[in-house]
Amino acid sequence: MTSADAPLADLDERTLVEACLASQPGAFDLIVERHRRSVYQLCFRFVGNHEDASDLAQDVFLRAFRGLRSFRGQSSLGTWLYRIGTNVCLNRMSVKTPLGRNTESIDDHQFADERAESASDGMLRTERAARVRAAIAQLPRKQRATLILRTYHEMSHQEIADVLDSSVGAVKANFFHALRSLKKLLGDEMA
Amino acid sequence: MHLNADELIDLAEGTRPERSAPHLAGCDHCRQQLNEIRAMMARAAEVDVPEPSPLFWDHLSQRVHDAVAAEQLPRRAWLDVAAWRRVPARWSAVAVAMILILLVFSSRLLSPTWSLRHAPALAPLPPDAAVADAAPRDDLFSDAFVDEDASLTLVASLTANLDLEAAGEAGLAQGDSAEHAVTHMNGDDLRELRRLLKEELARSDGSKG
Repeated sequence: MTSADAPLADLDERTLVEACLASQPGAFDLIVERHRRSVYQLCFRFVGNHEDASDLAQDVFLRAFRGLRSFRGQSSLGTWLYRIGTNVCLNRMSVKTPLGRNTESIDDHQFADERAESASDGMLRTERAARVRAAIAQLPRKQRATLILRTYHEMSHQEIADVLDSSVGAVKANFFHALRSLKKLLGDEMA
Repeated sequence: MHLNADELIDLAEGTRPERSAPHLAGCDHCRQQLNEIRAMMARAAEVDVPEPSPLFWDHLSQRVHDAVAAEQLPRRAWLDVAAWRRVPARWSAVAVAMILILLVFSSRLLSPTWSLRHAPALAPLPPDAAVADAAPRDDLFSDAFVDEDASLTLVASLTANLDLEAAGEAGLAQGDSAEHAVTHMNGDDLRELRRLLKEELARSDGSKG
């Protein structure tokens, strides 16, 4: 099926990318629509606040648009976007203050669905999540990237190695040290 | 020998069965490490990203759409601040061009051959007078002077050695580029440059006075 004779929504990833490269209206919008949630969530995991995450997500898609010709289809479009997103976030981390200080306060989580639990349980859960998020924000760059990609985006060790230009062994070592560091940072809470 | 990070991660993730690591059964240290890793994996996994407003997703799509549309519009490279920040070659090329311009004009002011060549146009100077006194400044940038001066030819020659590929990528090989401006100054350009420099010199004199 070619991009010219099929509705955009029916196109597979590769054909959709070709449609973008052929300047077919709406093709890139559809890529954004399909991947915007996962890209935003990846960015949020890195920066810990909504404003920065939305700016970074926009930047990721803009860079993806610019580099679309370099997408060879060897990995999924999602993995390719994660690669761009991880690099964008790591670069951002290198020029900004430690992001642990920028993470959102507990009060910012107004959209969490807490109807099924009591107010105190909800508050406790939110507090625990905020503490873990803050601890993750203090991890070294590669440890943080590895933990985020492995834990929240279910990427294989090989995929993470590709994203980080690393080896599977280094990814496992980074994951191990990230978890150990997290244990130290959270301290007594885990006891 | 204790289990290494690789083995512990494989055991914690379940990609390797515990029975394949008999050491684990007899080593409290490794057993504790494995339990801690598993606990932290579970602890980290339960943290969600707060769901933004439902309106946010369309807003994000629109922002990206607008940014991509702006990217596709033909732009004047000089006015594209974001692109300037992205391409260090632009700054390098402009810096080279500016240094060349400064070198040429400062060499004019300080060169004894310049004074000799233009001696008739100058008022007699006391021996201790500064070379770049107020009197010759009016003549320094006259059209006739510039037309016959080899300095601009030198600028053209030196800028010709710029990395043209980088300059082209940076938008400097276009009609409104620095290279073009340097090598193709017309009379109006030179008069404007003269006016700006005179203003600057007058301001400098005023501040000294």
